[in-house]
Amino acid sequence: MRADALAWIPRGIVLGLLAFAVFGPISNLLLWAFAEKWYFPHALPLEYGFAFWERVFRPRSNAMESLFTSVIIALSTVAVCLAVSVPAGYALARLRLPLRSPVLLMFLLPQAFPGVAVYINVARIFYTLGLNGTVAGVVLVHAVHGLVFSVWITTAAFAAVDRSLEEAARNLGASPLRTFFEVTLPMAAPGVMAGAVFVFLESLDEFTGTYFVGVPDVTTLPLLMFNASMGGNYQIAAITALILLVPSVGFMLVIERFLKADVLARIGH
Amino acid sequence: MKPSLLTASVAALALAAGLAAAPLRAQTVLNVVTAGDQNMVDYINEFLAPRFETLAPGVTVRAAGTGPGDAGSQKIYEKLDAQAKAGAATRDMDVAVIHQKMAGQMVKEGLLDAYVADVATGGLATRDSVRNALGADVTGYVLPMFHSQIALAYNPDLVTAPPKSFADLTQWVKDHPKAFGYNGIKGGMSGVGFVTAWAAAHMDDAAVLEKGPYDAAMKPAIEKALSGLKAFNTDVTLTPGNAGTLDMLNRGEIAMGPVWVDMFYTWQADGRLNPNLKLALIEPGLPGQPMYYVIPAGAAGADLARRFVELATGAEVQAEGIVKRFNWYPGIDAQHVRAKLDDATWNRLFTDVSPEDLAAKGKPFPLAPYFTDILEAYERTVAN
Amino acid sequence: MSALSQTEPAIGGAAPPRPLPPALWGVLLVLPALAMVALFFLYPLGFSVVSAFRDGDGAWSVANFTKAFAFYGRDILFTLMIVALSVAIVAVLAVAIGGYLTLGRNTTAVAILRWLYRWPLFIPFIVAAQMMRSFLAKNGLMNAMLVNGGVIEPLQAVSLLDWRGIVVTFVWKQTPFVALMVAGAMASLDRSGIEAARDLGAGRLRILADIIVPQVRPTLVVGLILSFVTMLSVLSVPMMINPNNPTMITVDMAYRINAHGDYGVANALGVVSYLMAGLVAWIYLSHGVRRGAGS
Repeated sequence: MRADALAWIPRGIVLGLLAFAVFGPISNLLLWAFAEKWYFPHALPLEYGFAFWERVFRPRSNAMESLFTSVIIALSTVAVCLAVSVPAGYALARLRLPLRSPVLLMFLLPQAFPGVAVYINVARIFYTLGLNGTVAGVVLVHAVHGLVFSVWITTAAFAAVDRSLEEAARNLGASPLRTFFEVTLPMAAPGVMAGAVFVFLESLDEFTGTYFVGVPDVTTLPLLMFNASMGGNYQIAAITALILLVPSVGFMLVIERFLKADVLARIGH
Repeated sequence: MKPSLLTASVAALALAAGLAAAPLRAQTVLNVVTAGDQNMVDYINEFLAPRFETLAPGVTVRAAGTGPGDAGSQKIYEKLDAQAKAGAATRDMDVAVIHQKMAGQMVKEGLLDAYVADVATGGLATRDSVRNALGADVTGYVLPMFHSQIALAYNPDLVTAPPKSFADLTQWVKDHPKAFGYNGIKGGMSGVGFVTAWAAAHMDDAAVLEKGPYDAAMKPAIEKALSGLKAFNTDVTLTPGNAGTLDMLNRGEIAMGPVWVDMFYTWQADGRLNPNLKLALIEPGLPGQPMYYVIPAGAAGADLARRFVELATGAEVQAEGIVKRFNWYPGIDAQHVRAKLDDATWNRLFTDVSPEDLAAKGKPFPLAPYFTDILEAYERTVAN
Repeated sequence: MSALSQTEPAIGGAAPPRPLPPALWGVLLVLPALAMVALFFLYPLGFSVVSAFRDGDGAWSVANFTKAFAFYGRDILFTLMIVALSVAIVAVLAVAIGGYLTLGRNTTAVAILRWLYRWPLFIPFIVAAQMMRSFLAKNGLMNAMLVNGGVIEPLQAVSLLDWRGIVVTFVWKQTPFVALMVAGAMASLDRSGIEAARDLGAGRLRILADIIVPQVRPTLVVGLILSFVTMLSVLSVPMMINPNNPTMITVDMAYRINAHGDYGVANALGVVSYLMAGLVAWIYLSHGVRRGAGS
């Protein structure tokens, strides 16, 4: 008992430091979201209130509509990314592919090559195809960006699945497709889902591509956040960031729910 | 099996999104895209849009912002350019608000409509900046939304005798190391403007920077003018961006710095700057520029767009919206606006900087090619 | 590898085993993803890359690269150092967090840590940058907290808004990302090896370094490479924390475009950025492939 109590001293210090590191900056965000007056020489806000919340939620600013669009876009992006990366990840992890490394490197490109210059060309192509100003167009742009996460992480997840289990299933007479859906995919599910979370967050963080392909017909909340943040409008930026926390954390919790059930099921077998 | 349930629901949502993809256009929508701060979007949404919608029933104004600074205007240009190159029949924005620097290029590339002759308010703005944008002829293509100016913001509690000239400022910075801050050239126009003003203040023939003609042989003179800036920079705080200078003023880390007057007032109104802070213009002057209303060539709602700009550049709206509500310097000529306002409101605009000061020390930015030369000289001699 | 080539052809149906089908299947499975990147990124990217190799008159030249290195050579190095340092710190912290989640004996502490470490993941980069700007500044919230708490004297307060601020923000934002991946991989490890080592009296640090980390290394490295690439391409963090000299090349790219309309040099810097990312990823891939072939 005593030793355990003593162990809480270093533990408490480390966790306390971590809490300071994580929540220190976030407390700044919370303060700004409700600060109506905050300037030197005052270390803390002079006045708090909801005036800026009112401004964000004014009917003309369409904040709720943009939030809804952002979430729809993020979910669709996840769907598109998973649909193409699960097969791709499996192939890259398991099948003997020609040019495997170059292919993997190619998926890095959208993330590695800073986007602005490329989006101009994307916009041009999308205008020709009639994709500009549509949700589908924005989803495509986000998905291309998110693919690096889903493809790389699913590839790693499939590579980590123990082959002997698959072989056992095959030996018991399961078809390859059935083996994949009932053995391989569930075992790789945590990795696949982690990829989904990152794709979702990446989409909710994106504004450059959304501007070039979506605006003015499709507007998302991150666009408002970007404008407010770059202009130093801390209150509006903080409030939009807090609003965006809701779908982000919510998606993570939903995913965890599924994951837990799945992991437990596996332990049961 | 649960993951597949999830996938299914995600796919269903995606389908719903696809169906919702085609934007509902039951009403006529007038798309206004603006560079600059969020308060410009607010101005269009909250002030102009309701007025225009009563004027033109059945029309909805939709405003979108592209972000502050030249980057915001650049994005408008890039979107219009992409549409032109894609051969699109119409443009998806009807009215755009851009900075001076982009206007010349967009006129030259044929991206804009020469609409000014067709609007009734076309004659209300007669300043040089409605014809000349950094040396490019923009006559007939632009009308000013408001005029903005770079000025030194300072905390009067810490700066009892604000500098009157660049020489004063240099001495002040020596006496108060790190108490002056500006944002270099990569973080926005308030820093860039300070640098071009520095160059103009330290050149024998500064007028040629504004008036032309362009002469590449001036490059050494420009480098020489900037040579003192490197030593100056060792005693100043370099801030991250236009908003970064205001941000450091907010926390009292610097006591003085060049800022955009309109941003300064917004920050004060939003409670992010001490209301005691003051503004000053120094000799020989600091640059300013208007924001322009432009109509893209081939805008789908060109007729409505003209009526919108007409409303926005009328004396009534400029007085009530630009000056009274948002505390910006009017875009159209002062006398038209002055007539619509009481003395108190008008004078509030000139609390710190008098109209005479503004006339004498409010300068245009240098011609575009000189502008480039100054920036590159800064990168070569000051930053390295 | 040999097991693979025996089992896989069966996916193709009843046909007798031939060497071609698995590769063909692989290509077919990768194709949709590849086509997406090719159509919606590579093809438009092509225009950009071409412009990096052309001069003002449209002739082929490497002038943009010469200029990029002359003006921003220092920034290229600076970028590389910032990102490498951040990745190194992220690696240590992520392994520490994942390790404690896996090996921690006190369930309360583990639960607190699990709840705590993930929050930065949900804060977008641009907001993180803005928060850090007013948190790490000289008169910022951190120093105010430290002064109030009696940890430092007001005169000791310094601004961290230089390269340190950029590193702090990157580490703050990316540690949970890597930790999440690594903790997941650690959780799915076979625990018998860990328990055996524990029974033999091995310390927890020992177990982490010798048993756990080697097994999750592929996941860790993938997480780090993705972080490396992400940090390389983020504009908002250096832009808001320190866009003055020296700074990261994303700021220079934005500056070339916004101040000069100079897509040539901007794209040349983009190519340099991709080469840095590609080089790191390629080292990992070739290493990984060789190891795979060896086993």
